[in-house]
Amino acid sequence: MKEKRILQIVSEAKQAIANADNLDKLNDIRNLYLSKKSELMSFMSHMKELSKDEKAAFGQLINTSKNDINSALEAKKEDLAKKALEEKLEKEKIDITLTPRNYLRGSKHLFTTIVDEISDIFTSMGYQIVEGPEKETDHFNFELLNVPKDHPARDMQDTFFIDDNNLLRSQTSPVQARVMLAKHGVGPIKIISPGKVYRRDDDATHSHQFGQIEGLVIDKNISLGDLLGTLELFAKKMFGEKRKIRMRSSYFPFTEPSVEVDISCFECGGKGCSLCKGTGWIEILGAGMVHPHVLEMCGFDTKVYQGFAFGIGIERTAMLKFGVDDIRRFYTNDLRFLKQFDKE
Amino acid sequence: MRASLNLLKKYVDLSNLTPEEIADKLTFAQLEVEEIRPLAKADHLIIGEILECEKHPDSDHLHVLKVDLGPKYGIKQIVCGAPNARTGLKVIVAMVGAHLGFDNVEIKQSKIRNVESNGMCCALYEIGVDKAELTPAQLSGIEELPSDAVVGNENVLEYLGLDDVILDINVLANRPDCLSIFALAKELGALFQRKVVLPEMKEILTDKSDLTVKISTDECQQFALTEVKGLTVKESPLWLKRALQGQGIRSINNIVDIGNFIMVTTGQPLHMYDLDLFGSKNFEVSSDYEGPFTALDGKTYQLQKGDIVIKNDKMIGCLGGVMGSESCAVNSNTKNIAVEAAYFNGVNVRRTSKRLGLASDSSAHFIKGINPHQTEYVLNLTVQLLKDLADAKIVCAMVNEDHLSHDKTKIACTYSYINGRLGTDFTKEEIKNTLERLEIEVIDDGDKFTAVVPSYRIDLHCDADLSEEVIRLLGLDKVKATLPSMETTLGGLDEKKVLLKRIREHLIAVSLHEVMTYTLVSPEENKQLVFLNEDAEIKVMNPMTSDHSVMRRGLIPSLINVLKYNIAHQNENLAIFEISEITTDKQSYNELAIALRGEDYSRGKMATRKYDFYDVSGLFQSMMSLLSIDENRYKINLIKSPYLHPGRSAGIYFGNTLVGVMGEIHPSLSEDIGETYILDINLDKFLELKTSVKKMEKISRYPAISRDYAFVLKTDISAGEVVKLIKKEGKTLVKNVEIFDVYQGEHIEEGFKSLALSITYQSLDKTLSDSDIDPLENTIISVLNKKLGAYLRS
Repeated sequence: MKEKRILQIVSEAKQAIANADNLDKLNDIRNLYLSKKSELMSFMSHMKELSKDEKAAFGQLINTSKNDINSALEAKKEDLAKKALEEKLEKEKIDITLTPRNYLRGSKHLFTTIVDEISDIFTSMGYQIVEGPEKETDHFNFELLNVPKDHPARDMQDTFFIDDNNLLRSQTSPVQARVMLAKHGVGPIKIISPGKVYRRDDDATHSHQFGQIEGLVIDKNISLGDLLGTLELFAKKMFGEKRKIRMRSSYFPFTEPSVEVDISCFECGGKGCSLCKGTGWIEILGAGMVHPHVLEMCGFDTKVYQGFAFGIGIERTAMLKFGVDDIRRFYTNDLRFLKQFDKE
Repeated sequence: MRASLNLLKKYVDLSNLTPEEIADKLTFAQLEVEEIRPLAKADHLIIGEILECEKHPDSDHLHVLKVDLGPKYGIKQIVCGAPNARTGLKVIVAMVGAHLGFDNVEIKQSKIRNVESNGMCCALYEIGVDKAELTPAQLSGIEELPSDAVVGNENVLEYLGLDDVILDINVLANRPDCLSIFALAKELGALFQRKVVLPEMKEILTDKSDLTVKISTDECQQFALTEVKGLTVKESPLWLKRALQGQGIRSINNIVDIGNFIMVTTGQPLHMYDLDLFGSKNFEVSSDYEGPFTALDGKTYQLQKGDIVIKNDKMIGCLGGVMGSESCAVNSNTKNIAVEAAYFNGVNVRRTSKRLGLASDSSAHFIKGINPHQTEYVLNLTVQLLKDLADAKIVCAMVNEDHLSHDKTKIACTYSYINGRLGTDFTKEEIKNTLERLEIEVIDDGDKFTAVVPSYRIDLHCDADLSEEVIRLLGLDKVKATLPSMETTLGGLDEKKVLLKRIREHLIAVSLHEVMTYTLVSPEENKQLVFLNEDAEIKVMNPMTSDHSVMRRGLIPSLINVLKYNIAHQNENLAIFEISEITTDKQSYNELAIALRGEDYSRGKMATRKYDFYDVSGLFQSMMSLLSIDENRYKINLIKSPYLHPGRSAGIYFGNTLVGVMGEIHPSLSEDIGETYILDINLDKFLELKTSVKKMEKISRYPAISRDYAFVLKTDISAGEVVKLIKKEGKTLVKNVEIFDVYQGEHIEEGFKSLALSITYQSLDKTLSDSDIDPLENTIISVLNKKLGAYLRS
C-alpha cells in the first residue's frame, strides 16, 4: 500500500514541477515533497516496522523517488534559467543596420602612392633609392648631362633659375651624375631617384612643379636589351601582366641611343580608344643608354662600363592609371579628390 | 618642321606609300610626326566663270550670279555674299552635294531669301586652307582665279596645288639638318631604301668678282658672297609658288621666293643685299658695333658689342643670321645683288635674338645649327634659279672667307661594340649596309671598322652615335628583352627614409590626409607663419607669376591655403599633413606640418569632437613613440610667437634649439578659417636622432595598486609639472600617473583648479602593503605642497 502511495507522490511531484513557471514555485515544491516533514520523508519512520529484507527494498524505493524528484527539480531549474536568459537577450536586441562606428583611415596622396608603388617594384629588383636636392647647380642639372651652356637642348625645358649657377632642377637626372661621381668610377650602380622637378610650364597636362622617377643602372655588360627587359617588367607590374611595351627612337642629350617607351593601352588592350587616341599605345617614359660622354665626365671608363637610364613622370603615371583628368588636381588637394584614394 | 609631301616627292621616290606609312616610319626613326594634315579638304569642286552678277532683290550685300560651269554642268544660278563677286571672274564652285573643309559642310540646293541657289562660290579657307596662310584679301572674299583657269576643270585642288599633305615633324635638337627638305628626302630614302635625286651643281660662266669679304669676329666662321647683276624682279612661276605654299610660305616676288626656297630645301639661310643701296663692294663681318639698327620689319633695335653685323664703312647691312637692314633690302627696283651664305655662331645668334625679342626663320636655323659644309653648293643652286627665274645677266665668282675645317668626321668602332650596346646579334653585313644607307662610308678591318660620316650629319661624333643609327634604321623591335646580369645589389630605402615612410603611414592610419602643395609661393605667403628658420628666402630669377616666385620657407602657409580651398568647397572638417623638402639660402631639410580644423569625424558623425591642442600634442607624442624617442630627449615649453595663440601653443626644443611648434594659430590670423591647430616640425632633426635598440623591461609578478587624489593648486601651474614631480619622488614604485579631471568653479577658490589624478604603485619584488605606500604617499603630498603649493582637496 505504502509503496503505491510513494509512486503516486513521485508522479504528483513531477506534475507540479512541470507546471511550475518560476524559481519560487520550484522552492515550494521542493519543501512540499522533500523536506523532513514531507509525506515522503515521513515514510522513513515506517522503516523500523519492516523486516530486514523489506527494509532494504523500501529504503531503496524512497531514495530513488527522492532522486527522481530532485533531478526533475534541477532540470526544470536549468530550463527556467535558460528561458530567463533568452528573454533578457531578446530585450537587448539592437538595430544592426545603424551606421557603424567609423575607424576611418586618412589617405595617402596619389603622388606618394605612385612613388611607393614604383619604388617597391624596383627595390625588389635590388635598386637603391637615392634622393637629390631640388635646388641644383647648372653643373649637375645640365653640364654633366651633356648639355653645355647655350646648347639648344636647354630650350627643351625652360628652367627656373635662381642665379647664373643655381636653379630649381628641371629633371631628376642630376642625381645620376651625383651618384656616379660618388662611386669614383667603380660599378655597379643600380638606383632609382624619385622627386619633384620644376619647369616653366602650366596647363592641364603640364604643371610648373611635377614629379619624376629617375632610374640608372651602370655595370660592365649592360645593353639596350636589358633596358627593354627591365621596363617590360616594370610595365607589367605597374599596369598589368598583359601589357606590352615598345620603343621609339628619340633624343635626350645624356643618352645614346635614346628611346621613348610606349605601353599597350590598358584601357582598350591595344584596339584603340580615346585614352590612347586610337593608336593602341600610350607614351609612358623616356630612356636610353647612358651617353659615353656623361660616363666619362662622371669618372667612369667607357671601355669597361655601360649603362642605361630612364625617367618616369609620376603624375603622368597616376593620371593614366587612375584616370585623373587634370594635373592640377594633385596640387589643389580637394578633400573629395584625396579621399577617393584612401585605400592606396 | 613642316614638310610638304608634294615637295618631298620631287626628290625622293615615295610612290605606293600612304602618308600614314611615311609618318609611322619617320616616327619610329626619331622624327616624330605630330600631325598629318591635308592642305585642303573638299570634293565636288569645279572651276566656273561668273557670266552675270546682279544684286539680290531682297538684300543689300548678296548677289545673284549666273555661273558657267562648262559643257558638262552648264550654267547655274548661285547666290553669293562675297563683295568681290563680279562678271568675268573665274571662281571655285562647290556644286550641290559637295563637302567642304574639315567640318564637312555639305552644300545643298537651297533658296536664299526666295532666290534659288545651286552651289557656292568658295574662299580658300572654306575648302580647308589654314586661315593663317591667307592674305586679308583672300579672307574677305571668294578666291579669284587667274584668267587662264579652265572653266569646267573638276580637279580644282590639284589645279591650286592644294592636293598636298603636310607632315608636322618634331625635329629634335640633335638633327637640325632635318630642318630641310633635302635632308628629309635623304632620310626617307635611307629608311625606305628608295631612290633620292637632289639637284646638282652646274657649271656657271662667271665674271671676276670685285666684292671683298673680311671677317673680323670669332662669331662667324664662314662668309661667302656671290654677286649677281641685271636681275628682273617679278612674280614667281607657279611651281615655285606651289612649293612655298606647301611649306606655308607666302609668295612675295621671285628674288625673295628663291631665298626662301633655298632655305627650305637646303636648310641654309641666305641673305640678299641690294648692292646699289648697300653702296659698297666691301663687306665686313664684325661684332664691335654699338648703336641703333633698323631691320626689315621697320623697327629699330639697339645693338651692342657681341652682336654680329655685316657692314661697310657707311652702313650696317645686316644683323648677322637674324635680319637684314631696311636700307639695303631687295625691292621691286633691285637690279644687282650680293647673295650671302654664312655660318654664324648659333649661341651668339640665340643671345642676340632673345635679347632683342627678334626672331626669324634664319635665326631659328642658326640657333638649332646648320650644315656648314654646303656653302658652294647652296650658292650655285641659288644662282641657277636667279638665272632661270630672274633673268640674271651677269654672275660673278663666289668670294669666300672660310675658317672652318671641312674634314669629315671619322669614328673608330667595332661591330661587337654595336651589338653589345644594343643587345642584338646583327651580322657585320647588316650593320655595314645600314650605315651605308645613311651615306656613312665604312672602312672594314675585321671586327673593327672606321666610319666616315657625311658632312651634313653634324650630330655623329662617337661609336654610341653609330649604334643609334643602326637600331634606328633596322628597327627597335629587333632588340630582345633581357635583364641585366650583374652582381647582386642590396635594394631598398635607407634608415631615414624607412622612418619617414613609417611616420607618413602612421598619420594616415590615424585618419589624416596627406596633401602636396607647391614649393614656389608668393613673397606674401613667405612673410608669416614660418617657425623653423629665420633664413632668407630663395628668389627665382624668371618666375612665371609672382604667385610662384620664391621658394617657401615653411609649410604652414601652404596648408592654410588647402584649408581655405576646402572650406570654400564645403569640406569643413579637415585633418591634413604634408612632408616636404624646405630650402632656404642656408639649409635644406624635411619639414612635417599638420593642420587640424573643425571636428574630428574619424569615429563618424555620432562621435564627433572639436579638435583642440591635445590632438596636436597627442599626434606629436604618438610619433615620438613610433620613432622610439624618449621624452627626456626634448623639452616642450610655452612659446611666444606672434602667429600662435599665446595660451595654447608650445615650442619643442632639443636643448635650446627650436625644432618644432604646436598649438592654435593666432585667432587674428585665422579669421577666415576658424580655430585651427597645427604641428610643425623639422622632421630631419627627429629622424637623425640616434636611438638605442629597445631592450625588454621586466614585468612585475605582483599586483599594482591605484590610488586617486585631487589636488588644489594655482591655475598657472601645469599638470606636467605635477606629474613630473610625482614621478621623481615616486622613484621606482610609482609606475604611472594619469590625470583624469581638471576642475575650476564652484567650491574652488578663484585662481585655483582641482587636478584629479590616479597614481599606480607597483614593485618588482613584492606585493605592496599600506605600510609601503603610505610613507611614499605622504612624501609626495608634502613635496607637492612645498614646491607647488598644492594641497589635497578635502
